[in-house]
Amino acid sequence: MDTPARRPSSELGAPPARKGWRRFSRRLRTSFGLYGGASLIVGYLSIIVLIPIAAVAAHGFSFSIHTQGWGAAFWHWHLSAGFGIFWHDITQPAAISAIRLSLWLSLSVAAINAVMGVAIAWVLVRDQFPGKWFLEAFIDLPFALPTIVVGVVLLFLYGTASPIKVDLFETWMGLLVALLFVTLPFSVRAVQPVLASLDGESEAAAKSLGAGGIRTFLWVVLPSLWPAVLGGFGLAFARAIGEFGSISLIAGGIGRTTTASSYIYNLTQGFLWTNAAAVSTALLVLSLLILITTNVFARRIQRRLAS
Amino acid sequence: MSISLSHLTKRYGDDAVVDDVNVEIPEGSLTAVLGPSGSGKSTLLKLIAGLEIPDEGRVVIEGDDVTDVDPRHRDIGFCFQHYAPFRHMNVARNIGFGLRVRKQPKDVIDAKVAELIELVRLEGKSKSYPAQLSGGERQRMALARALAIEPRVLLLDEPFGALDAQVRAELRQWVKELHRQIKVTTILVTHDQDEAMEVADQLLIMHEGRIEQAGEPTELYERPATEFVHEFLGPTTIFKGASIRPHDLELVRSSEGAMEGTVQSIMELGFEVQVTVALSDGSTPWVQMSRNEFRAFEVATNSPISVRERVAK
Repeated sequence: MDTPARRPSSELGAPPARKGWRRFSRRLRTSFGLYGGASLIVGYLSIIVLIPIAAVAAHGFSFSIHTQGWGAAFWHWHLSAGFGIFWHDITQPAAISAIRLSLWLSLSVAAINAVMGVAIAWVLVRDQFPGKWFLEAFIDLPFALPTIVVGVVLLFLYGTASPIKVDLFETWMGLLVALLFVTLPFSVRAVQPVLASLDGESEAAAKSLGAGGIRTFLWVVLPSLWPAVLGGFGLAFARAIGEFGSISLIAGGIGRTTTASSYIYNLTQGFLWTNAAAVSTALLVLSLLILITTNVFARRIQRRLAS
Repeated sequence: MSISLSHLTKRYGDDAVVDDVNVEIPEGSLTAVLGPSGSGKSTLLKLIAGLEIPDEGRVVIEGDDVTDVDPRHRDIGFCFQHYAPFRHMNVARNIGFGLRVRKQPKDVIDAKVAELIELVRLEGKSKSYPAQLSGGERQRMALARALAIEPRVLLLDEPFGALDAQVRAELRQWVKELHRQIKVTTILVTHDQDEAMEVADQLLIMHEGRIEQAGEPTELYERPATEFVHEFLGPTTIFKGASIRPHDLELVRSSEGAMEGTVQSIMELGFEVQVTVALSDGSTPWVQMSRNEFRAFEVATNSPISVRERVAK
């Protein structure tokens, strides 16, 4: 016979009450099964991510508690004043130009590497050539290198004393090159496993139906890769918009090449903590927006593909 | 002849997976390539489609030597074992793929797709995605997709392999009926001899990369050219040291012209009954008979009984 507790309670009425410890431990185990995993993740994220972020955001909005007692007036004053300060901080011409530069650089970098990531993943998965293992390892190099090392290398290669006579010092091109380098592994590694998991049958089917190589790629292979490409795009963008080390040297330190992250750094050097927190919060919101958007699109496509 | 293969050979390393195959496949036939797994039958199919490149030999389709022709210009409909659906396209777009590649006008494609959806009985499913279809429906969609380009030859690789028994039996009959309607030269690969005997009008028996025998199913069953064909096409048992079909043996009461023994085991499979007899020479052949024949004997395990070759009446 089934234990009554296993049946839906609507069918048999409430399960008979169990006594003491057994009932408690059972409840605990059941609820851990339901919420345990989720609460573990949320708890962990709270400690290492959410609380620090909330602190920065609060600082950006200048929420500090002083005077005037508690009540509606308190919240009204603080909210409006807080938001006013926040808005004032992030609409400084220097702040706007820094955020704008970061935004379009990051979008371009994520887009270029989405294309290059697919191409490189394709070569790594489908082609055999001598030295492939080296290329495989090289892709991950930006993960391992301290970004300031990348900055030094790029300054040496593309600085004013460039041995190859390409001077990108204090130009957006220099920033672009640095960001392309540090975000490449995100784009490649997002696509590679998905590409490797495709069996050749769909492609062979397309071929037997008369499709050439390019059409087979565009109509059959690429649609299966979209969720992965979007995922890589989101990660590359988030990394690029927050990148500091690799671009700080080649940017030089003039206004034209000051990205949002460098701008924040400069603010902290001048002890302008509130301004720094405000711009940080703006960056945070932008990154979250892009990550959420790419995730939503990727999930929508994935749901259709899933069998 | 619709398809003719001469000296077709494909090697992987030193292994000849397809070894000097010479065969003619008649126009409009439904041919089954039958063989155990690893006999090279799927590779043979891919060589015809151009999805594999032969090391030697020629593939000629309707008089054109297509050996060096790219698969996409061979006009061959190929159905894969796992159907290879385009998962991001709905049924209608899957079926119309070959026509879109051929840059047909939209109204022509729509009409053709509608016609095929009706032919493969997927009405009402045209907007569904492959993930929402059952195995049998996916298989029919793959068939319609291959037929859309009006191929000269239709190739089916283990078309029923991944389906459950019920759907499989239905789909077999359906494919046979479909072939009667559209008459396109069809080759299907299978490792199931019942399936091959039931569906095909021509059989090719493959073994270790070679064609053992080709011909009509009954001819091969009755006059197998090699021991392998004999063993592969139906059940066999050993009687008086020779391999024989168990339905060519019968049980008798009298020992006249027969070998004596005792019943070792009885297996009743509905209409069919299999009786294994331990004979005096130590061999244990099994006899296949109908349920009615079996009832007439009233034998049980350990009953004394004799076995002889069935006399043609």
